[in-house]
Amino acid sequence: MKRLAIGLVTLTLPLATAAQVDSYNIDPFHTVPYWETDHLGFATFRGRFDRATGKFTIDRAAKTGTLEITIQTASLSTGDTDREVRPRTRDEHLRGPDFFNVVEFPTMTYSATSVKFKGDDPDVIEGSLTLLGVTKPVPLKVERWKCGPDPRTAGKRYQCGGNATASFRRSDFGMKFGLPTAIGDEVKMWMSFYGFRN
Amino acid sequence: MSNPVFQVGVAPLVAALVVALVVALLLRSLQLGGLAVVAAFLTTMYFVSGLTFSPLTVTRKIVVLSLAAPVVGILADFAFKPTRIGAAVLALAGAAAALWVFWPVLSQKDAAEAWLLGGAAAVAVAFMIGFGQMFLAEHAVRAGSAGLGAGLGVGIASILSASATYGLYGIAVGAGAGGFLLVQMIRGKTLAAGATFTLSAMLISGLIAAGAMILAMLPWYALLVLALVPVGARLPVPEKAPLWLQAVLLSIYSFIIAGAACALAWKFPDGIPG
Repeated sequence: MKRLAIGLVTLTLPLATAAQVDSYNIDPFHTVPYWETDHLGFATFRGRFDRATGKFTIDRAAKTGTLEITIQTASLSTGDTDREVRPRTRDEHLRGPDFFNVVEFPTMTYSATSVKFKGDDPDVIEGSLTLLGVTKPVPLKVERWKCGPDPRTAGKRYQCGGNATASFRRSDFGMKFGLPTAIGDEVKMWMSFYGFRN
Repeated sequence: MSNPVFQVGVAPLVAALVVALVVALLLRSLQLGGLAVVAAFLTTMYFVSGLTFSPLTVTRKIVVLSLAAPVVGILADFAFKPTRIGAAVLALAGAAAALWVFWPVLSQKDAAEAWLLGGAAAVAVAFMIGFGQMFLAEHAVRAGSAGLGAGLGVGIASILSASATYGLYGIAVGAGAGGFLLVQMIRGKTLAAGATFTLSAMLISGLIAAGAMILAMLPWYALLVLALVPVGARLPVPEKAPLWLQAVLLSIYSFIIAGAACALAWKFPDGIPG
């Protein structure tokens, strides 16, 4: 009888552990990656991507998690959409082969399989950024994190949201136009994100 | 060395001049003048983007073909004199090369757009190579002028179409052809062009222009006008005029056609009204 009980516990333990893994779908309407870089050594220039999708999982008990984000590179915007007297807008230039080359590389992705926790909350996500066909490790720092019922659905939907930052050298991904003086090599990313629990 | 003037002007021109002078002084019996264009293009590529081949992007495929073009050109020059069949074979090979370069991008587009862009790219590259091989390969001044006009035209049109990088590559081809032409103008003697020159200059400039159309915003009709630049270098000039004057006149003819393409890219980026 005792052996049977131990056997049942052993069999059901992985199921109990699996049940603690929460999976979330990223809210594409409130998940917005922004970027900034130096411009001509005078000012910091900012832009954003208007469309990002993905999913993440989190296991608070085991303090593990995963993250997959896909950013549509053609959705980038710096707010410059009117050509006026110029042949092309800044956004059109940024979408071209000099920078994000969105026709050849319509997406950039971030994939993580390791999450470091600080207390009960994720702190640093170890993952890789794939940009222009090149994959390099880029850690993501979670600066703000909160989970709870979504007030917009009277608590029927459970969500996690927050902010995360990262930085990388664009030259590592082969994006070299304007280096070294016109446009900075160091790119900082800042992202607001939401995920709805499945 | 990060100055664009150096990257796109001084460096490729010096590389082309060195190669053209070596060919002119030491390798006179060989038709290797086209190496000047490839040297100029690769020099700018090295400074602007670096010479790496992984991942094998559209731009890097163009670099691969820029290395293959003079080899094929040398073989073609040894194998046969410029004939219609030879020109047609090289033109078809150029069209196939264009489709190989751009297929991964074209395959992601809807059929109508893929046919338009792929067709324009293949036709433009094939015409430039075929016409160059047929009518310019045995006339080094005409070939050099065509390379100069095509390179500069493609470069400026690319810049107007939201790709300064492709613009620099195009201008580098122009600088290479300019170096090839300048050595002839200064010495008052022609170099041999051959398929080594025409295939290299026309293939590289044609692929850069097609890249500016598919990856950036060069209109397809501007690409087709750019493909006509070598025709300008076929126009008549005084046969007994000094070589430098012939080079200047033929370059002006080429620039006029290239200028028309640039004007289309500048004024009618979203279609010709009417």
